[in-house]
Parts: sequence; C-alpha cells; structure tokens
Amino acid sequence: MKRRDFLRQSTLASGLFFIPGFLKAFENISPKSFGYKRLVMIQLAGGNDGLNTIVPFTNDDYYRSRPKIALAKNDVIPVSDSLGFHASLLPLKNLYDQGNLTVINNVGYPNPDRSHFRATDIWQTASNSNQYWQTGWVGRYLDAHGSNAYNAIEIDDSLSLLMKGENINGIATQNPTNLFKLSQDPYFKNVLNHYNDEHLSEHNLGYLYKTMIDAKSSSKYIFEKNKIASNNAEYPNNQFANQLKTTAKLINSGLETKVFFSSLGGFDTHANQLNSQKRLLEIYATSIEAFVNDLKKQGTFNDTLIVTFSEFGRRVKENAGNGTDHGAASNVFIIGNQLKKQGFYNELASLSDLDSNGDLKYTVDFRTIYASILKSWLEVNDERILQQKFDSLDFL
Amino acid sequence: MKTKQLQHLFLRAGFGITPQLVNDLSKKNKKKVVDFLFSTTTFQPLEIDLSELSIYTQEYQKNKTFSMEFQRKSNEKIREYNKIWIERLANSDTLLREKMTLFWANHFVCKNQNIYFVQQYNNTLRKNALGNFGDFVKEISKEPAMLNYLNSRQNRKKQPNENFARELMELFTLGVGNYSENDVKESARAFTGYNHNFNGEFVIGKYHHDEGLKTFFGETGNFSGDDIIDIILKQQQCARFICEKIYRYFVNDKVNEKHLDELTAVFYKDYNIEKLMKFLFLKDWFYDAENIGTKIKSPIELLVGMQKMVPFSFQNTKDVQKIQRLLGQVLLDPPNVAGWKGGRNWIDSNTIILRLKLPSILLSNAEISIKEKGEFEDSFDKYHASNKNQKDFAKVTVDWDFFEDSFKNISFDQMKSLFLITAPNEGTETYLDHLSKSSKKEFCIQLMSLPEYQIC
Repeated sequence: MKRRDFLRQSTLASGLFFIPGFLKAFENISPKSFGYKRLVMIQLAGGNDGLNTIVPFTNDDYYRSRPKIALAKNDVIPVSDSLGFHASLLPLKNLYDQGNLTVINNVGYPNPDRSHFRATDIWQTASNSNQYWQTGWVGRYLDAHGSNAYNAIEIDDSLSLLMKGENINGIATQNPTNLFKLSQDPYFKNVLNHYNDEHLSEHNLGYLYKTMIDAKSSSKYIFEKNKIASNNAEYPNNQFANQLKTTAKLINSGLETKVFFSSLGGFDTHANQLNSQKRLLEIYATSIEAFVNDLKKQGTFNDTLIVTFSEFGRRVKENAGNGTDHGAASNVFIIGNQLKKQGFYNELASLSDLDSNGDLKYTVDFRTIYASILKSWLEVNDERILQQKFDSLDFL
Repeated sequence: MKTKQLQHLFLRAGFGITPQLVNDLSKKNKKKVVDFLFSTTTFQPLEIDLSELSIYTQEYQKNKTFSMEFQRKSNEKIREYNKIWIERLANSDTLLREKMTLFWANHFVCKNQNIYFVQQYNNTLRKNALGNFGDFVKEISKEPAMLNYLNSRQNRKKQPNENFARELMELFTLGVGNYSENDVKESARAFTGYNHNFNGEFVIGKYHHDEGLKTFFGETGNFSGDDIIDIILKQQQCARFICEKIYRYFVNDKVNEKHLDELTAVFYKDYNIEKLMKFLFLKDWFYDAENIGTKIKSPIELLVGMQKMVPFSFQNTKDVQKIQRLLGQVLLDPPNVAGWKGGRNWIDSNTIILRLKLPSILLSNAEISIKEKGEFEDSFDKYHASNKNQKDFAKVTVDWDFFEDSFKNISFDQMKSLFLITAPNEGTETYLDHLSKSSKKEFCIQLMSLPEYQIC
C-alpha cells in the first residue's frame, strides 16, 4: 500500500482505531435518504426570560410580580386558557397549530447556577451543578458513535464545550469557504502528505497530526458539499438567520452530520427588557420559520429535530431597571414533524411557590430531554453518553 | 549544559530561549544555569494607568448611569491589562516569576470586572509566585476579586455560603475526596463575615462573623479563616496536591509517583515555592528524555514563544483578544473556577488549523513558502508585499531586525533544532530538507507552522 493511500484510509478509519466499543456503525443509512436523523441545537444565550416568552396571561401573580414589564393580555397570542405566545412568536404559533412544536415548561436542574458561564457549561456538558466536566454531551456522543469532526458542526468561529469529546471534537465554521481556505494551505498539504507514523494519537505529536489531518479533510468535505447545495427559502437578513441558512444548506447537501449547533445572543435583559426581547424573539422566530420552510421544501424536515434552550430563565419579579435578573428554570422548544406529544408538554410551575431566590422551581430535568433525544431520536444508549441514568420523556 | 537541556529548561521555566542566551549559558553547568534563572526573579508589579477612572468615587458610583459608565471603562481597561500582561510575558527578564504567575493564575482561578481588583489580584499572584504557599493562600482568601468570585461576601453567620470553603479545599489545597462535607461546613463558618471596602481593603464584618467553636480535621476551636488554612497546611496531602499540579505543568502530563514523592517531601517541610522549583530544576530526572518535548503548548505559550524568537507587538487590543479567544485561552477570563484543563484539551479542528496558520498570518501575510530547492526565488519582502490576504486579521509590528541579528551566525540545521524541541517526524523532516533554504525568515515561518512547534 502506498503511504498516501494508507493515510487516506487511516483518516477514514480513525474512529475505528480510537473509539473503544465501536460496534454499531455510525450510520448505515445514506445521509441523503429518508431516515437519516439530524439534531439542531439552538441556544438563546444570555438567559431568555421564559415568562415573557410563553406568557401566563391569566395569572395574577405574574402581573403582581411585574407591574412594568408584564405583557398585557391583548399583546399575547393565546393558545390555552392560561398560556400564550409573545407577539413576536407568531411563526411559532403556526408551528404549534401544525403540530410541529412541543413546549416543555420549567426545565432546569437541582441547585441551579446563575452565572452565564457556569450555567452554559452545565447545559452543554449535562453535568450536575457541582461538577466541572470537560466534555460536552454532543462531544461524548461523537466519542461513542462518530468518526470525523464534521459529524457535529457548530456554526461559529470557535468550538463550544458542547461539541468537545474526549477523543473526537466537532468542528466550527461560520463560513465553510473561509475555513476551507485556511486549512488548505499548500504547505500543510505537503507536510501532511509526507507525514509517516502509524501510531497517530498515541503521543501528543501524533495527536496533533491526527487532528490536523481530520480538520483538513473535514473542512474540505464541508466546503465541497456546501458548494453544491442551495437554499429554497427567503431568510431574514441577520447573523442568526445566516447561521440557520448555512445549516439548512449543509443538511440539504446530504452531509454526514448528526448534530448542528448555533446560538443567538443578547438575552441578558437586566434593563429595558421589553424592546430588546421583542426584537430578539422576532429574529429567532422569523429565522426559524424560514429554516423550517427550507427544510420542508427539500424534504429534510421529517428527519430534523430542532431544540431551543437557554442557560437559565429569569427572576419572576422584575427589577428596578425595567428588566429581570438571572433566574433558574425556563422553557425548551422542540420543533419537528414526528412529535408524539405536541403543544404544551406540561403545566407552568407555580408562580407563588418559588425557590429561595424567587425563581421558578424546575419540574423537568434538562437531561431527561437529552436522554429522550439520544434514545428515541438518535437511537443510541443515552446512559453511556450522559453518564447517568435519566428517565425519558414521551414527546418523541 | 547541553543545548537541548537548556531549551527544555527555558521552555518550561519560561517561553523558550534565544540563540544568544543559548550561547551565553551553554558553557555553564546546570547549577550555574539554575542559579542564573533564580537570580532574575525580582518582583515588578504590572500596572496600568488608571487615572482616568479616579473620578468614579464611591459617592459617584451610587448613580446608576455613572456606575455603568465605570463598568464599561473598567472592562476596557481589563482588556488593555490583558494586552500588557502578554507583553510582559514576552519581554520580561524575570521569566520564572512570570511563568509561575501564569501557573498560579490557573490555580487560584479568579475573574472580576473591576480593573482595580483585577490588577491587585494579578500582582498578589506575582508577588507570592515564588514565596511561601501558606501566606499565599491566606492573601488570596482576602483578595477583593476572590471575595466576589467565590461569594465570600455572601458568607454570613446566619446563612453561610460554602462556595469559597469548598473550592479552597477541592481546587486550591487538597483535591477532591481529601476532606469531608462536614469539613466544608465547619470551615465555611470560619470565613463568615469576610468582605472588602470600596478601596479593595480586606475587612471582617464582625456581626456576620461566626465566633463559635468549629471542628475541622479533628481539631476544635474558635478558628479564623487563617487558622483553617494553617490546619490544611498540616495535611501532607496539601503539599502533594500542589506538587502534583506543579509536576503536570512543568514536567510531564503523566506523573511519576517516585518523583512526586521527592517533591512532596521537600515542599511539606516549609511550603517554600522557590526552594521547590529550584529542587525540581536541579533534578537529573527533570532532564530525562521522557520529559523533554512531551507537552502541548498552551495558546499563551505558543503566542509568547513566537514573540521570543521574532519580537512583534499587536497594534490593537481587540486583535490580541480575538486571537486568544479563537485559540481558546483569554487571560483574565477563565472558563470556570477549575481553570483551563490544558494538554490535548487545547486542540480541536479549529484551534489546530489556526495554530498552524498563526505564524504566517501574523508575520508573513498568511503565506508559507513552499519553494523547493533551485526554484526561482523572490526576496522574502517582495514575495509577501504582493499579498494582501489576511492583512485585516490582526495588525502587528514585527521586529525582523532582531531576528536577523540573533540568527545571523546560526545555520539552517541549528535553526531547526532551536525552533523544535522534539525531533520532527521523519517524513516531515525529509520534506523540510528539500525545501529551498534561501531565507531564514521563510524557514522560521515554515518551522513555526509545523505540528512539532506546538510541542514544548
């Protein structure tokens, strides 16, 4: 075998070498065919105010706690006797009507942390609040079932903890063309083509070479797939919409990517919340609407599950600056065409029985949502990836 | 001392070694070299001009608009402080003290948004970097930045907050599993009332401090926070925990238990950090082949190491921030109280591409020459002047004259060895050998753009 051939093959097979227990093939199904399921994770970064997103518009405690920033009944799109959508979320109401949305209320975890960074780490690693884990749950999914960096893509310039495993990391790209150009320097190509060591990854130098070989081939693969794909919907003109546009393009290209991740920042509304949240939710909802339309037109919506979370909700009581401070439990949106339990998954928690900080008490551990997705959507052993046993929910 | 040993020592105790210093020190024996290293450790505080913030007095900051304005300016100053810290790392001759400061910053991990507290904390790390560990911990426990970061200010007799007490033992002194939950509870009581005033001076709120008896590690008394730290220091596990961290950082990711025992025995005697480091650098095993060229450089080690060989400076604060962010390590902005994990955790698809591309982006307009021997050769400047590729990625001023001067008597073969602590992969070396050797600048970029250059 020529050395180059060996390199090419060892790159492709690298997963087989390094992942213990690699028994089940990553996917037997062609990514272009139906049944190749994908997950899109979206973080509303900064801590979205869940109570002004899904609004308890008949609840006296809600109006009492927020004399200045509570949303009036007329400004809410009602969907049940007690809950309605923020007016910016009309596109989500449409998805709700079509049975393509599940809203899970009061999602959180024991001893919630109210720092953005810690709370984000907790959500991304799926650890308990007193554990500092160094791998994300998507990263551990890659460790167990992935083979290349492109199996999980973050639409950003750098990689979040969510996407980092022990042996494999996902890859981040805001712009596949730029990443490709950066990685395809002819000098790197020459160096990597000359590199000869079968013991990749056993020592640190080998690990560096292996990661670079994978990065180079992943960025090339993403670039080439992205080049031939197109979008079939009109997107709003903003960065978040662009991220989803890229995601749709990559999904529709038949890329072998199981998980995508994007985030929309700015939700840390300590002051003058009404305007900024209105604008942000509108960006979120109109972008999602275009994204779903794009997938529907290209026949990939059936096999895509979109999950939106925020690292925490906000304090029930408003603050002095017409805003809200960091809170705890909040809502999670699940969007897809194969939802078993549609609409509101559960009731909103009590607004009178709050925790010692004056925050909503959680009733659904966020990791039970991950467990359900891993088990019922990605069809893998959730306990191995979450490193704890969680009950599954029946929305999938 | 042999060149490889010198390179090894200076990569670990600093950020690399210039050809001049190799030349100066290679005639000296190990003892003399280590003495030299410890002769240049004077404490020089790192300070930034904060006069424009002096108008924000305590009275003034009660006003919300002004306090927000202060916050914005303070954040700006913190970014500037980050930049001058990196410049200090690259230019200081007190390299061991600076390297130790960087080490402690990822041990006593802390973050704050007030530039006064950030600066004070940073200089406390620097001042104690080679001092007595016990005094060090006590000072850290009273630093305004730490009092805020781990909620000591919320730790009150009526409602203790255990955050600091727990991290003190888990991350700063003993390691997880070496204390009980009851030890956490009892010691948290000893730290109740810890606070600071507007000027950042430590105060104990006597109404909030618990004067009752506490039982900690089997001892009972009306312990203060300092007493608790003294009891912790009595545990040999504390010395061992710190030595293990020192070993992983300065010697090898994989710990040799026998060597660790030796370090622990020395450190436990009096917790003198300087003595410990001197002992370590004089040990024969520190220079064993298995410990040379085995670690992956942190982003800061990479960035500063490049500057040691080819001095350059960033024109804009935001550029140096951006590069740190993309590489995964922004000084003064750690991910959490456990700090950066380091090692292979630095490396993912994105960071490896950027790491390999960085020297050319910063120094040669993103071009790495692939000219082979005998090809038509443009001059380095002419070749790179024509390319506007990545000029807007970061604006840097490069001192190539320094480089030319320091490498003028160094052969291409010697350069290879001076830039790469580890022997290059055989195939890679074959490739390097058949590249054109007409420009040392070009060869320098080629060497720094290799996976081998990521190793220290």
